[in-house]
This record gives sequence, C-alpha cells and structure tokens, in this order.
Amino acid sequence: MLKITNLKARIGEVEILRGISLTVNAGEVHAIMGPNGSGKSTLAQVIAGHEDYEVTEGTITFEGVDLFGLAPEERARAGLFLGFQYPVEIPGVNNAYLLKAAVNARRKQHHKSEIDAFEFLKLAKEKMALLGMDPKFLNRGVNEGFSGGEKKRNEILQMAMLEPKLAILDETDSGLDIDALRAVAEGVNALRSPERAIILVTHYQRLLNYVEPDHVHVLSDGRIARSGDKTLAMELEAKGYDWIREAASA
Amino acid sequence: MTGAALSIDALEAAVQRMAEDSLTPHRRAALERVKKNGLPTTRDEDWKYTELTPAFDVGNRWLSGLEPPGGATPPLAQAITESIDATWFIIANGSIVGDCAAAGASVGIEALRISELGAQATTDAPLADLNAALLKDGLRIVVPAAARLTRPIGLLCIDETTERPAMSQVRIELELADAACCEVLEYHASLGAAPHFANAVIHLRLGAKARAGYVRIQRRDPLHMLAGRLDVDQARGSEFSHVGFDLGGRLVRNDLQVSLAGTRASADLSGLYLAGTDQHIDNHIRVDHRVGPATSRQEYRGILAANARCVWNGKAIVHPGADGTDAEQANHNLLLSSGAEMDTKPELEIYADEVKCSHGATVGQLDERALFYLRTRGISSEEATRILTKAFGSSIVGHLPIAALRDTLADWVDARLSGLTEGSNR
Repeated sequence: MLKITNLKARIGEVEILRGISLTVNAGEVHAIMGPNGSGKSTLAQVIAGHEDYEVTEGTITFEGVDLFGLAPEERARAGLFLGFQYPVEIPGVNNAYLLKAAVNARRKQHHKSEIDAFEFLKLAKEKMALLGMDPKFLNRGVNEGFSGGEKKRNEILQMAMLEPKLAILDETDSGLDIDALRAVAEGVNALRSPERAIILVTHYQRLLNYVEPDHVHVLSDGRIARSGDKTLAMELEAKGYDWIREAASA
Repeated sequence: MTGAALSIDALEAAVQRMAEDSLTPHRRAALERVKKNGLPTTRDEDWKYTELTPAFDVGNRWLSGLEPPGGATPPLAQAITESIDATWFIIANGSIVGDCAAAGASVGIEALRISELGAQATTDAPLADLNAALLKDGLRIVVPAAARLTRPIGLLCIDETTERPAMSQVRIELELADAACCEVLEYHASLGAAPHFANAVIHLRLGAKARAGYVRIQRRDPLHMLAGRLDVDQARGSEFSHVGFDLGGRLVRNDLQVSLAGTRASADLSGLYLAGTDQHIDNHIRVDHRVGPATSRQEYRGILAANARCVWNGKAIVHPGADGTDAEQANHNLLLSSGAEMDTKPELEIYADEVKCSHGATVGQLDERALFYLRTRGISSEEATRILTKAFGSSIVGHLPIAALRDTLADWVDARLSGLTEGSNR
C-alpha cells in the first residue's frame, strides 16, 4: 500500500530524514518509535504533504501512485489520513462543518453524492459514543478550547468518519490519561481491517499495549536503526533509546 | 486625485444660494465655524492616515454648480426597504423622502423634520459643521418612554449620481426616552458612475435604562465616499449594542463616539470591515467613561486584500472618578495580500483608580498550520482559504443585535469575501 524508498528530506539547511525505506501492506499495523528529534513527526508530515519540508531524494508511492505529484488534499481524498500531534484550533469553523466537508471531499472523489444531513449526524453520534465524546463537541469550533485528550479524540473521530485506507497517527497517545488512551486505542482497533493499514508514530510503548503492532521500527537520526516485531517495543521500554543509539553508532 | 482642500469661497457662496428657511441661521453659524476651525487634514492627529482630499475634490466640483441634488428616490431604495422588515425612513440624495411623521405615528414614535423644529443640536466636529452648513433638512425621531418596538427603525441613506460629482448631507437625531427599547438599522447604499461624497451625522440619545441594538451596514458603490459619524449619549443603566459592517465604498471614515454619562451603562461596539482594490476604510471609536461603574467593549475585525488600506483607532478614556470602569478593546486584522496595509492603534487613557481595562491588536496572515490541517482533511487550498477567512469574521456576524438580519448579513459578507478573493469590488 505504502512504499517509501531512500527518503531524504530537510527543512531549511537541516537534513532530518536521511534515507528511509519502509513498506506497509494492507492489513498491517506499524509502529514507528524513536527518541525526540529522530525524525518521526517529519516522516508523518512529509507523507501527508507538508510544504515546509523539502524532499531531496527518494520516492513515496501510495497504491502505486507517486505521492509527490499530489497536493495534501489530493492525498487525503486518495485515502490517506494524518492524525496530528498538535491538532490545530480553528475558532469560527464548526467541528461538524469540518467533518462534513471532509467526508464530502472523499465522497466526491468517489463520485458519490454529498452525505445526507440526517445520516451524517447519526454516523457522527455513533462514532462519538464509541470514543466517549459528548455530542456537544460537534457544535464547537474545531478543537477550540478542547483539552489535550479531547483534541486527540477529535482526531480519532475524524479518522473514524473518513475511514481512510492508511492512517498515520502522530503521537496520538502523548499526554493522554488512561481513559482517553483506551478510547483512542478502541477507535484505532475499530478501524483495523485487512484492507487498511495503520502507522502509529509514538515515543512510548504504552499505546502498543492496547493496539498490537505487526511491525516496530526504531528511528534514530533520520534513519531506521532497527526493525522487528512487537517484542522490539518491549525491549526498548526496558533498555531505553540510548541502547539503539549506541548500537547504531557502534 | 488632486490634493485640494475644500474651497471655503465656494462653500460660502453655496450656503448663500440655498433657499431661506428656518435652518438658515444654523447654516450660517456652522459656516462661520468651518471658516474659523477649518476642515480635517492629515496634519490632524485623528486624520493622520486618512486623506479627505478626494472627497473635498468631489465637494468642490459639486459646490461650483450647486444645484442641490434632486430628491428622487432611486429604485434601489425600494428594493432595500422591501427586502428588510423595518419602519423605514429614507434620506435620498440628502433629502428626506415621504411623510416621515405619518410613518412614525403608525408605530407609535415621533418623527419630525428638523426644519419644522427650527433648531438642531450641534456637534463639536469640523465635518459636522460642514454638514450643518449645507444641510437641506434633517430628521428627528423620538421613541417614547418605555416603548418597545417590535420592528427595527430603518434609516436608509441612499445616493445616486448621474453625470456630475455630487455631495449629500445626512442628519438624524434619534432619542430613546427612558426604558425605551428598539433596534436600529442604519443602511448606506449608493449608485451612479460619477463620484459621490456623503457626509452623515447621527446623534443617538439613550435615556435611563433604554436599550438599543444598532446595526450599521455600509454598502456604497465602490467609487463613492462616506464620512459617517455617530455620537451616542448614554444615561444610567442604558445598553447600547452596535455592530458595523463596511462592505463597500472607496473612501470611508466612520467615527463612533460614545459617552457613558450614567452609572451601569454599557456599550458593546463591534465591527467588520472588508476592503479590496483601492479601498480605504477608517474606523475611529472613542468611548468616554465619565462615571462608574460602567462597561464598554470594542471588538473590530478587518479583512484586507489587494492594495486595501484600513485604519482602526479605538480609544477609551476613563475620566477622574469613573471607578468601576470595565473597558475592553480589541482589533484583529487579516491581510490576504502583501500589498494591503493596516494601521491600528488601541488607546487607553485612565484617570481613575479602580478600573479594569485591556486592549490588544493584531495584524496577520492566514494561519498556515490551519490551512494545512484543513487540506489534510481533503479540503482544497482555495476552499480552506475561504473557510478560514469567513471564520475570521464570524465572531462579529454572530454578534448581530438584530437577529432577523443574521442570515442576510452572513450572505452579504460571504459575497463580499468572494469578491475580495477574486479581486472584485462589485
């Protein structure tokens, strides 16, 4: 589904990604771990199409299509979703309005008519119940005045409504209390299916107790320093990131 | 445009030529004040960023021929008054249209021509003097004590030019007696290929515990100019809630001055100005807290495109002894183009001890992070820009004190925003 080959990217003069290759197949859950500054978030942003990063080398294809030829909105309509580490507050834009616009943008791509207002509301309320969100959040400004946990739940709500083929969740677990973490994990697990893939970008192993990954990759200095199965995450939790850094420099 | 001042000789000749009536002594006295005090130039602190010479140039060309513009009502007036439910009073090309007394009587308010009263209040401002010097007639409306009007009072100030540049004066005195309550809609429209300059002076008095919800909508032709002034005097416990929308005009200056002279009075002042190619929109607000406790809030927002230039000056003056004052000022601006220019200045002058005051101003571009966020949700770059621009002004539209106008205004703001992003002023 997603194939990254020797990806190098920089912001200004600083090279952040220094040759990443990664293949994610339908049905798989990948965890990308690594210390702060290792390039995890940059990788997520580059896949989503953030224009501040300059790709200097390498390719990314999504279902065989070159992603660099697509604008961020075209990537989204093709079935890519990025859950933000820091969801943006947008006062004056109603949460329901954004959800509906996003859903309709995807439907349009698939030559479907706009979602019926009643159907939309029913679906949104259903997904919110699953995530433990008050339906009142629909009528608030996007992320406006939301707590950290509420913002992350809102990201998962958007994902649940959009049903992407590939979801990349950038540190969705950070700053969550245990209830929010469980709700987020449930949302992610509900999306798991043989047709979809999920990439969890995370600093800690704890989300992986709830969402079991098929593959774990550890990023260090803009490269994948090590890949393995879920036991790698546990090993990291026990030994810390210095272990990877030492192994990488040795 | 030529950098001409208004010709005082031409003004004097014009005042002399106007037909003799009960207002003649007032015109002559006002003319003397203009001769003595002069008219605003950019050397005056309050006019530093707004050059009135294009308006005075229109004035000179009109004064030289001075046929007072005809009193005919443009068809546009009919379209406006039929589309918005209000008790309408129409001032077309500076003349009062129709039987205002009858219109007022039908809803239980008193509406008279100032010429019938043979007197008019003076406002200490040079443009108000110019207005008084050239005034054909004005309107005085009184809402009796404890009256609660169900329909808004509509004040339609409309002008139409033909071949010649023209100037018009609007003068309205509005009084809400004690505990009266009503909504007011001040609507500015104009059309015509020749330039126009309207000089409007409106005075609103709110008696004790009177309440007014006031909406000013300015949709003048993109070639036309307006200097509009609204002075508000508030007595004890009165509430004034104002929202202004500038959706048209070429050169626009709005002066809003509120005097809080009674305790527990409150003034909630807000506005939204949208400016594009060659437009200049200036909002000057001044609130005088003369006694306390009283509250005032100013929140203005601007969206500027192309080479638009806008000015905002919000002043709150807390006079000695006005303890318990709560004054807030905010002005936020969104620049959609690097050629647009905004001058903003919130000012607080505090001469009392126990006050709560805050002010803030921002000038910025659309939030890139928000744009990217929307795009990752499948929304196109153009649509995301439109959504965020609209959201920027939504807090002002949502604040509208005349609820029935909300949808209409939201549509007009939307249409104007589309014009801004497409580079059109029509």
